[in-house]
Parts: sequence; C-alpha cells; structure tokens
Amino acid sequence: MKTVDAKGKLCPVPIIMTKKAINEMKENESLKILIDNETSVKNVTRFLEENGMKVSTKKEGNVYELMVNKTGSIPESVNAEDYCSVDNIQITNYVVAIQRNRLGDGAEELGTILIKGFINTLPEVSLKPKTIVFLNSGIFLALKDSPVLESLKKLEQMGVEILACGTCLDFYKKKEELGVGNISNMYDILEKLSKAGNVIYP
Amino acid sequence: MKYIILIFESIHKVMKAEQILAANKIKYDIIPTPKEFSSDCGISVRIDSSVEDIEIIKSVLLKNNLNFQIHNKK
Repeated sequence: MKTVDAKGKLCPVPIIMTKKAINEMKENESLKILIDNETSVKNVTRFLEENGMKVSTKKEGNVYELMVNKTGSIPESVNAEDYCSVDNIQITNYVVAIQRNRLGDGAEELGTILIKGFINTLPEVSLKPKTIVFLNSGIFLALKDSPVLESLKKLEQMGVEILACGTCLDFYKKKEELGVGNISNMYDILEKLSKAGNVIYP
Repeated sequence: MKYIILIFESIHKVMKAEQILAANKIKYDIIPTPKEFSSDCGISVRIDSSVEDIEIIKSVLLKNNLNFQIHNKK
C-alpha cells in the first residue's frame, strides 16, 4: 500500500500530492494519506469524493489517516487549488508598509498599475500579512474611491489589520474619506513594524 | 462570482485598456496574470462578468484596436 505523508503541509499541497499518488497507482490499489490539520482533511476528502472515490478517515493522536481505494483516475485538468476552502487562511507575522500610492521607482503610470496588481494579489496568496500600514500618499489606496478597496475589505474580513497614518490623512485632508481600516498614529505604526517578522515595502 | 480575465500583449496595452474601461465606467480590477494563463505580460484585467456586459467590453476595446485573450475564472 502506498502512503502519502502530507503532515505539516497546507492546501493545495496535500491535494497535489494525493492527485499525483492516485494517478501513479493501479486501479483498486489503496492509498493512505497522513494529514495533521482538519481543514486539509476536509479539502482532500472533498477532492477525492468529487472525483468518484470513497474515503474513510480515522484519527490517531494528532494525525488523521485517510484511506482510499483507487477507482478511476483524476483528469489533469482538475485544479487542486479549487478544493482549498477559504477557512484555510493563515495570518503570518509579516507587515506590508505602503509608503506611496505606487510601487517602486520609475515611470509613475507603471508604478500606479503595479501597486494595484500587488494589493489585488494579497487576498489570493495563502499567507496573509498580519498588518498593512498606509503612510504618506499610500493612504490614497485606502480611501473610499480607491481602485483596490474591494481587495482591502476582503483582507480585513480575513483578519488582516489595516492601519492608515492619521497625520497623513490629515495632511491630504482625506480623514473623512477613509474606506477601510482604522486611523493610527506613529507609536502604533512603529510598534507594528518593530514587532513584525518581516516588513515588505512595495 | 464569475470573472473573466483579459490578457493583453503588453503593459502598455493594459494601461490603454484601463483608460478605456474607466472612460466607459466599466468596473475592473488589475491583477497579476494567473499562473495558469502564461503571457508575456504579467498584469491582466479582471472583470466581474455577473456585473458587466462582456459583449460591450469586447466591442469598446476592439474599437480602440486593442487585441486581447479572454479566459474564464471562478
């Protein structure tokens, strides 16, 4: 019997490993999958069941053992990521500090489009930042008319803290127009930055 | 929500498309080109197809000589 050890792995990795193993096996051969978190158990089970296979699960200590018999194969076109449920959000110890309303140096119109792409990617990646801080002209991205407001709201719902520099909102006279997150001060912001594992300055 | 992804040949075309979409009050997002659709340009346009009329979008972009590929994404 083949075994897939997906302990310590997060979605979609356990599904990719399972899919690969299944497709290497013979019909009716059985597979044991080891997983150590409940979300992945649900995701892998749903993945197998929707592809026509029966799964039985038992728990030994902190490890779940999923048993499945190969009945049929899984088409290449099946996308593992589609089976990652949204409760598989991981907030990690990094902070994104956005210091202006564009990304990087160089052509302004390029920076403007790149920062939109950057912020719209954050809700899609599995490791979310703990906090996003908006400073100086960065605050324009957190206003009600921001082109990335939807993504920021989504991140906030997922548990990401969003802070906008109060002095900066005041300077640009935009305090009333903040569309997401909370107004913060330098003490708070410095504390978030100093306690972060990593700080990303896009 | 159902999305369509518009993929252009270059970032300049994406910028042009942004201006046209904005001028036509069409709601869009700028996103990195999803990994499954390889492209020379890493930035794409995402449109919520349950809100916007795709045929109108196609016609305004084509009228401005912008060529693009369309993909569906959940």
